[in-house]
Amino acid sequence: MDSLTFLHSSDWQLGMMRRFLGPDGQARWGQARLDAVARIGAVAERTGAAFVVVTGDVFEHNQVERQTILRACEALKRIPVPVVLLPGNHDALEPGSLWTSSQWLAHAPGHVTVLTETTPFRILPGVEIVGAPWRSRRPLSDPAAPGYAGLEVDPAVDSAAGPATIRILLAHGQLTSLSGGMSEVPTIDQAAMEAAVTDGRLQYVGLGDRHSTTRVTDRIWFSGTQEVTSPEEDAPGNVLKVTIGDGIEVEPIRVGAWHMVDHRVELFDEESITALEDWFAELPDKERTYVRLAGDGSLSLPLLTRLDTIIDAQGEVFASVERWTKFWTVRPAPDAADLESLQLSGPARAAMEELRQALAGGDEGAGAALSLMHRLARDAG
Amino acid sequence: MRLHSLALRDFRGVKDRIVRFRALGTTVVVGDNEVGKSSLVEAFGLIFDLPDDSKSTRIKDIQPVGQDVGPEVTAELSLGGRELTYTKRWLKNRSTELTIVEPDGRRQSWTGREAHNEAERLFKQNVDPVLWQTLMVSQGQSLVLPTPADAEPLITAVTAESGTPVDGASMPLVTAVEHEYLRYWTPRGKPTGDFARSAKAVSAAELGAAQALQAMDEVRSDIRRAERLNLDLEDVTARLTDHLAGVEELRERKQATDEILLRRDSVRSRAETGRARLENHTRTRLDRERLLDEVERFTKYETELAARRGDAELVARTAAETVQAAEAALAEVVELKDLRRTDVQAAERRVADLMDRAELDRLIGQQTELVDVRARIAAAGTILDRIKVDDAIVAGLEDARAAVVEARAALAAGVPEVTVRRLGPEPVELTGTGLSATGSSGAGSSGAGMPAAGSPRAGSSAARASGAALSSAGLDGGGSAPAELGFDESAELLVSGELVVGVPGQVEVTVRAGGEAATLRSRVDDAVRRETDLLKKAGVKDVAAARDLLRKADTATAELNEARRTEKSLTSGGDPGERIAVLTARLGVDDEAETEAAGDKQPAVEGVPGQMSLFEEFASPHDTLFDEVASPHGTLFDDFEVPEPKPDDLAGAQRILDAAREALAEAERLLSDAEFAVAQARKAADEDRSEAQNARARSELAGERLAAAVEELEAARAVLDDDAVAAAEAEATTEVEAVLEELTVVQEQADEAGADQVAGELTHALAVATRLQGERDTLRDALRTTEGRLEQSGRDGLATRRDLAELELAAVRAEHESLARRAEAAQRVYETLSRHRAAAQTKYSEPLQTRIESLGRSVYGPTFRVWLDDDLAVAERELDGVRLRVDALSTGAQEQLAIITRLAISHLVSTGEGSVPVIFDDALGWSDKARLRDMGALLGRAGDHGQVIVLTCMPDRYEYVPKATFIKLDG
Repeated sequence: MDSLTFLHSSDWQLGMMRRFLGPDGQARWGQARLDAVARIGAVAERTGAAFVVVTGDVFEHNQVERQTILRACEALKRIPVPVVLLPGNHDALEPGSLWTSSQWLAHAPGHVTVLTETTPFRILPGVEIVGAPWRSRRPLSDPAAPGYAGLEVDPAVDSAAGPATIRILLAHGQLTSLSGGMSEVPTIDQAAMEAAVTDGRLQYVGLGDRHSTTRVTDRIWFSGTQEVTSPEEDAPGNVLKVTIGDGIEVEPIRVGAWHMVDHRVELFDEESITALEDWFAELPDKERTYVRLAGDGSLSLPLLTRLDTIIDAQGEVFASVERWTKFWTVRPAPDAADLESLQLSGPARAAMEELRQALAGGDEGAGAALSLMHRLARDAG
Repeated sequence: MRLHSLALRDFRGVKDRIVRFRALGTTVVVGDNEVGKSSLVEAFGLIFDLPDDSKSTRIKDIQPVGQDVGPEVTAELSLGGRELTYTKRWLKNRSTELTIVEPDGRRQSWTGREAHNEAERLFKQNVDPVLWQTLMVSQGQSLVLPTPADAEPLITAVTAESGTPVDGASMPLVTAVEHEYLRYWTPRGKPTGDFARSAKAVSAAELGAAQALQAMDEVRSDIRRAERLNLDLEDVTARLTDHLAGVEELRERKQATDEILLRRDSVRSRAETGRARLENHTRTRLDRERLLDEVERFTKYETELAARRGDAELVARTAAETVQAAEAALAEVVELKDLRRTDVQAAERRVADLMDRAELDRLIGQQTELVDVRARIAAAGTILDRIKVDDAIVAGLEDARAAVVEARAALAAGVPEVTVRRLGPEPVELTGTGLSATGSSGAGSSGAGMPAAGSPRAGSSAARASGAALSSAGLDGGGSAPAELGFDESAELLVSGELVVGVPGQVEVTVRAGGEAATLRSRVDDAVRRETDLLKKAGVKDVAAARDLLRKADTATAELNEARRTEKSLTSGGDPGERIAVLTARLGVDDEAETEAAGDKQPAVEGVPGQMSLFEEFASPHDTLFDEVASPHGTLFDDFEVPEPKPDDLAGAQRILDAAREALAEAERLLSDAEFAVAQARKAADEDRSEAQNARARSELAGERLAAAVEELEAARAVLDDDAVAAAEAEATTEVEAVLEELTVVQEQADEAGADQVAGELTHALAVATRLQGERDTLRDALRTTEGRLEQSGRDGLATRRDLAELELAAVRAEHESLARRAEAAQRVYETLSRHRAAAQTKYSEPLQTRIESLGRSVYGPTFRVWLDDDLAVAERELDGVRLRVDALSTGAQEQLAIITRLAISHLVSTGEGSVPVIFDDALGWSDKARLRDMGALLGRAGDHGQVIVLTCMPDRYEYVPKATFIKLDG
């Protein structure tokens, strides 16, 4: 049989907000997520994909604003092939669901199909898509199981000619192996699913919910989000090109344009600060990059002031540069030379000395006060 | 700085003066007011402040008034180890000279502007302006407490003394720290500016976020509600479906059982029909039995009533007879009563007659008398009517007579007397007026024979005149003139008027009396006429007759009055005539007899005793009419008869009347008894009669009913005889029993099939179905409502709103936290620095405080203490344990404290480069003697360390200053 090529994406989460980006960054990032969708259209055209499946969480919420829905519809129109959407946990088919709303129904492009049932959807001759749409944010059992529960083993699966019908399961949810057992909702029964793949009921399982592109087996994949949403994600921003022929071939193709980076530094002298400066300088796509800095160490007051200046300046260049509060432990370390250089005497000197000792005693507030006083004394002098 | 001398020339009021001060110690400059003490201080200020070409008003002010001279000042002083001689002259011959001797002995000189500049530079370099101002107390300023904190030399001094390093470089830092602090905090420590605003923004954003979150919570709860509703709806729908199946089953069962019920209904209706027929037959039987019973009963009843009827009629007849007997007895008694009443009436009439008669007799007598009296009244009236004379008329007549006589006499004397005599045959006619014959004429018959002559008019007039004349002549006895003279007749005439003696055809002689005569004549005529009138009126012949008549009239009047009185007494009881007429009419036929009997009156009265005996003879019984009803007393009057009384025996008649009345009363009593007996008898008879009638009617009715009953029975028997009736009933009973048995069977069948319950069950099931449907509809509506709300929430983009709100909150929170960190840092720095500064300040103030207290104790004793504020000014003072704020002290104490403070400052700085003289201009004006002594000692001691200059007009204030140099200024 001829090989089938389609694209698998998920977790678009249109309408998502990221507070660390600030209003301007938020706007640009939101647009980037739509642009990535449009780029999927371009990939589909380029690769000759027959259709595109999106395995859940197309929207961030069921109650996103109208603008988000309309813009999503516009982005979907940029995809030139049929698109099949699966409701996920964020946009479950619960009461008041976006998918049944007049806003969606009125604007959804004609080539877009939303899987609202578990009955097989024959998208092409010989190609069936089965889905397990989320009907509630809190499913009571394996969210993928309903998608393939009713399928029967094709007796022809063992024949060399391959299955008469290619069946693709679209599901959304966590795998126990990947979630580390921390999931609040029931996870997908990986073994059962693999069994369904093995016995030929399913030829490919497209999963959603995990934002990083992840291969579970050859035929079971998380596509990951089309555009990064968090520095923790290790492989976001891809769409999967799936080709099913005699075997299966899955290829991640990058469509994302943004970066979210965690960076850890140790700061203790001028050199380390220079190194940080260099690191910033080498990063590409600065205006589309969010940096989360983790830092440790202690700096003299002048260096601390310089560090503040650097981070402040980079914040303007990058989409956002943030000290990762949880992991930011850079302390001022005023030495005697700093103070002497200020040539303070009398009460001023005494006050500064007191603050310095408080800082040495672990008083965080004293550090900030000392830095301030240092700056003021320097400027006043 | 030390001031050695000041020389003034042409300066205000000072012409030329030089004052030298002790370089160390106290100099007291004494001078009266206006002598120029203050000018010394002023001059020292001016020489450094203003160049010699200054146009300042301060310069103009010091020029002596009216003198075109240039004020000049020369000061000798030490400044920073140099000795200066500085002279300046303004306005006129301006000049400035400065000579400086360096410590090493070098001497330098400047003139003009250079000199001024150099002097100014040196002054500024060596004299702290604050300290200078502080220690130079000009007039009126002695109360002001010094605030010397900013005086560098003082600070230097206290710093040196306290051992704390100078804080020179820290002042800009202090300002910067304060500035930074005030960016975030108010002076009182409240957040302000951006910091405060960001806090508010956080609150607002929190509120917004909370609201947005709540909206989403509502959405979530709506979703849960909708999910639950969906489940409930499915459940109810399923139940409804099941239930509807059950309903259908019930419906089928009902169709099956309906057939049995139909059959049961049919049997039931047949049973009812049979039962109705049985009832009919039973009713027929009962009717027949009733008819038989009635016939028997009515027959018996009818017989009884007929017997009772015969008895009643007999009783009624007897009663009628009794009534007749009673009525006959009553008629007799009535008759008797009528007789008795007739007797009474006869007796009454008799008595009345007798009384009338007596009255008539009396009246007739009265009437006779009255007739007589009235005749007398009439006679007297007639007489009185005839007599017209009264006393006045008689008197008038007498007067008139006298007047006539008097007038005649006058006439006779006054008029011609003519005598005519007929001599021939020829008639002599006499006419004229006012003629009267004299008494002596002899013509007694002449008047009668005198014819009417002449023209009818004249003749008639003459005749009248002559007639009058004749008449009057006749009355008074004189003769009147005859109209004609018979033969041989003569007439003697008094002519008072005109006399015409004519002989027809012969002669006519006219005699006219004179005027006098006519008057006399008329007088006579008037008198005669008056007399005649009076006589005519009285109806008498003459006066004598009148008098006679007057007498007669008096007599008649007396009689008339007497007769009238009599009449009045007679008629006082009314006119007897009328009464007589009445009585006469009443007595009527007896009139004549009575008239006749008047003579027999006496004998009738005498016969009364005889009549009484006759009356008694009548009392013998001879009548048995009233036997049946007569009372025992009745016999007394049985033979009573009205006796004929004797005429005129009134008493007898009266007695007869009383007896008759008594008899009548008895008869009336009898009558009422008889009437009662009759009424009783009638009543009894009526009752008996009506009883008889009732008995008859009842008897007849019973007969009729019996006849009717018999007839009905016959009719019924004609239809069906008695035996047939009983047979029909028995047959109907059998039939009914059969049908009932059938009904029981059918009912058993119905019970077995539950036919009667099925309908109820179906109804119930339908109700349940309706309820379930309602439940389903309610759920559906609720679901639709919730879904509609959710749809709206989706349209509103509530989740996006919430995310935005949280974003906003995070942003403002981050900003606020950043600001808070900075604010806290600023606060920390500010507070730390302030604390250290305050501590240092306290250290600085200590030397000054110690110095002030040490000086003060020499005045106030060992309990004296002071506290300084941040500006090193004295804030509070304690004495004898009482601590007071400075402004609460007395004026004197304030002044003393101010001086002590200055001396202390001076003392502190005296050793340093920047020391300046302490100058008091007119101080201590408020202190008492005792204090002055102490203050004086103080001032003296102050002179040990520095230069003290006191300007005063009251040298005695400072007399206690030890070792003071006194300089007296004179005017």
